[in-house]
Amino acid sequence: MTADQEKLISEAVEKALAGDMDSINAIEDRSLRAKAKAALVKAKRAAKAEQKTETSDDAKSADSSVPQEPGSPLASLLTAFYPGEIVESSNDGNSIQIKPEKWEEIAVFLRDHADALLDQLECLTGVDLGEGEELQVRYNLHSMKHRHKLEVLINADRNSPEIPSVETVWRMADWFERETYDMYGIVFNGHRDLRRLLCPEDWEGWPLRKDYEEQKTYHGIVVPKVKEGWE
Amino acid sequence: MGVAAAKEIGPVQAEEMVLNIGPQHPSTHGVLRLKVKTDGEIVSEVIPYIGYLHRCFEKHAESITYEQVIPFTDRCDYLGSMNNNFGFAVAMEELMDIKVPERVEYIRIIMAELNRIASHLLALGVYGLDVGAFTPFLHMFRDRERILDIFELTCGARLLYNYMWVGGVSHDLPRNFDSICIDFLDYFEPKIPEFNELLTTNKIFIERTADVGVMPAEVAISYGVSGPNLRGSGVKWDVRRDEPYSIYDKFDFEIPVGSGDVGTLGDCWDRYWVRMLEMMESCKIIRQALKTIPEGGDVHQMVPKKIRPPKGSIYRRTESPRGDLGYYIISDGSEIPFRMKMRSPALTALSVLDEISAGWMISDVIAILGSLDIVLGEIDR
Amino acid sequence: MIVDYLIDIIPFAADWPGLVFVSVVIFCAVPVFLFIAVYALVAIYGELKVSSFMQDKIGPMGQGVGLHAGKWGLLQPIADALKLILKEDIIPTTADRKLFILAPFIVFIGAFISMAALPFSQTIIVADMNIGIFYILAVSSLGVIGIILAGWSSNNKWSLYGAMRSAAQIVSYEIPAGLSIIGVVMITGTLSMQGIIEHQSGFVWGILPNWIIFQNPFTFLSFFLFFISGVAECNRTPFDIPEAESELVAGAFTEYSGMRYAFFFLSEYANMFVVSGVAAAAFLGGWRSPIPGVLDTPGWGIMWFIGKSMFLIFMMMWFRWTWPRLRVDQLMSVCWKGFIPIAFFNIFGIGIWKLLIG
Repeated sequence: MTADQEKLISEAVEKALAGDMDSINAIEDRSLRAKAKAALVKAKRAAKAEQKTETSDDAKSADSSVPQEPGSPLASLLTAFYPGEIVESSNDGNSIQIKPEKWEEIAVFLRDHADALLDQLECLTGVDLGEGEELQVRYNLHSMKHRHKLEVLINADRNSPEIPSVETVWRMADWFERETYDMYGIVFNGHRDLRRLLCPEDWEGWPLRKDYEEQKTYHGIVVPKVKEGWE
Repeated sequence: MGVAAAKEIGPVQAEEMVLNIGPQHPSTHGVLRLKVKTDGEIVSEVIPYIGYLHRCFEKHAESITYEQVIPFTDRCDYLGSMNNNFGFAVAMEELMDIKVPERVEYIRIIMAELNRIASHLLALGVYGLDVGAFTPFLHMFRDRERILDIFELTCGARLLYNYMWVGGVSHDLPRNFDSICIDFLDYFEPKIPEFNELLTTNKIFIERTADVGVMPAEVAISYGVSGPNLRGSGVKWDVRRDEPYSIYDKFDFEIPVGSGDVGTLGDCWDRYWVRMLEMMESCKIIRQALKTIPEGGDVHQMVPKKIRPPKGSIYRRTESPRGDLGYYIISDGSEIPFRMKMRSPALTALSVLDEISAGWMISDVIAILGSLDIVLGEIDR
Repeated sequence: MIVDYLIDIIPFAADWPGLVFVSVVIFCAVPVFLFIAVYALVAIYGELKVSSFMQDKIGPMGQGVGLHAGKWGLLQPIADALKLILKEDIIPTTADRKLFILAPFIVFIGAFISMAALPFSQTIIVADMNIGIFYILAVSSLGVIGIILAGWSSNNKWSLYGAMRSAAQIVSYEIPAGLSIIGVVMITGTLSMQGIIEHQSGFVWGILPNWIIFQNPFTFLSFFLFFISGVAECNRTPFDIPEAESELVAGAFTEYSGMRYAFFFLSEYANMFVVSGVAAAAFLGGWRSPIPGVLDTPGWGIMWFIGKSMFLIFMMMWFRWTWPRLRVDQLMSVCWKGFIPIAFFNIFGIGIWKLLIG
């Protein structure tokens, strides 16, 4: 790519960020236009991340020479930087339970720290630990570079479950948090668009909770309770 | 007079129009609704609405036994049922620490790879349909039909197999399976260049797909996009190789990644092309497996009489035709799962749609959606 | 021409203009309509079979009579037509009722009256106007008005998209089609269809028939320009973006059903015949035999003309079942940045050729 083209792209992207999509669509050359769009996607993403990740900068620049116990480098890394946040850790250290308060900050740290680089959120699972117990969210993290994994568990109170959202940290969490909200009623604070994902907007109750009771009628249709008669 | 008329009408209304694509639409690959904001032909925002096929798989799984979950997994991704069974079986065996007979492993891999070819054939054929080419679709369906015949011969079902059980498979391979399978591969492999001539290298097809819907690698990873879609963006990541399960580490196969040959890295054409190459790799795996498959032995040998996994939880992902298919299984020691979560690769693929299709045209949104190869049954579960 | 005969034959024609009108309807309009209907059945059957062969399937098949599709599926198009006629005719409540009903007929009229100037043989032509080819170019654009009306009156966003695309597309592709015809007119010096065909007698380059397509390299190019633009005007793949079933459901025709939809369908096929017929007449010698002097009688003329047209229609089917669809902006750029400059260049080239070589 020549300097001219780069300049053209960066100008167009700036304009597009200001809301003028035509400037990109006006680029004659097809591949240039595509590149500009790719750049725009990147820029948008960077802008989104920036709003939330001021805290990650010191984490990045921090000295990474942390004493590491064999078998649980990630857990010890977390202990070093966020002492007191870990509630419980499994024997191999691959599964840790943390407190919810600083979760968003920790998430950014885990994603961006050179020794962690957990850039992929494999799975986000909501769990109901049983009637009367707490709710839990489990995050399975994976690093594409280091090829290591970490499972993070966060408990939430059953009556007012609230956990910070990591939707901006891993974009995948967007829909998975919505699904967990849909099924368990866990509110992810800071999620920009927390709506039900699979159930209809006006559905009542949180279906995957162990104490879930079906609503009696839905839009005038009786919800059958006795399951024996089902074909 | 012209000025007066213009004043009378007022300023031209140039606001955005909201267009509903679906839930009933030829190109939504199921029951999906896209709320598209458009300015003329240009799309500024795509909001997917899903849940039309929600069948409460996860809720159901909490009230049925582990054996009964397997047919449900079939019905999630109904185009890659074998792989869904496979993923569940692998996760359960890891949780219960079952070592299945080697022959079973081979049978599973052959079936999973045949199913991968069948699924990709459908994905590619339907993609042709999305961009307006009808003929490749039928050619690919013709070949997919032969794979379904093989499945029918093996387990009696053509679409929903319930074939892979925890600890084994439901039926041993039929007699002559070797020659039937080799016949199919001999027939199928030369068809791939034919598809390439018909569709892949077609000038119009390249015009429609190259440079369209570019998904940069970091966007793909952040959105959890996986499988051919991720590899289309140039990330060499395949669960079969990077977190080997079953006996995939015994086979020699390449992991095709997008090259940006005809456009930009990570465009629709790359995603399409990765699938085309993957079919060839699957053929390679099947040929190797057929050569070295051990004879004899009971495929039900390790099937537990009652599946009662120990207390604990596991998250295991496998490579389905659509990407990382994960099962999160929490067992409380009973015969019924305490919690069963299916991490659907198509769900993550669909969630990236808005990000990569803003700024393109309506026709491109259809092309991008098609290139992501989503199955709504799996997204809604 | 038939009109001229009628005026000659009917006594007191000058005193009874109404009688002339009625006889024109009986002897011209009805046969042309029947021709379109029969041709459409043949073409639909052909389309089914051509697509089947290309797609490695057998297409409509059946054994004997009865409720099958007949021998080799020959009854399939009739069954299709019956189905379309018997289907419920739905008019959406929010549609603009009058325009909605009117639209299919306007589209059909555009295709139908173009047929009047098509020379089926030396003698069989409804009216050999001295501006025949110009007339066809003019009235065949009527169809676009119908499509816009259909899209607008349906009160459906998909229809509107289809209609807008169709309008942009047909209007654009009229230009290269018209420009390539200008080359023909320059060579033949006439706008009459029969005049153009008369001009194409004998041999050229020694062995080739003296068809305009073979007369010089520029006309050769012109033929392809005209034909491809014609395909675009018929809204056929790869230019079927107004219908674009995978994007726009059925474009401008989304809300139509039954008989009204059948009229759109019929017009599409009629348009294909008009485009192919004009291409055959203007570039491929019309009713002239491929070997000049052999089988060049009026009876054979019908066969040659329809045969050539059908070959071009087969080409259109071939396109349709092989290629993907272009995007709307690509379609426009092909037209405005590709075809129109080439067409202008061609006119220039033909002029130079005519001056220097003859």
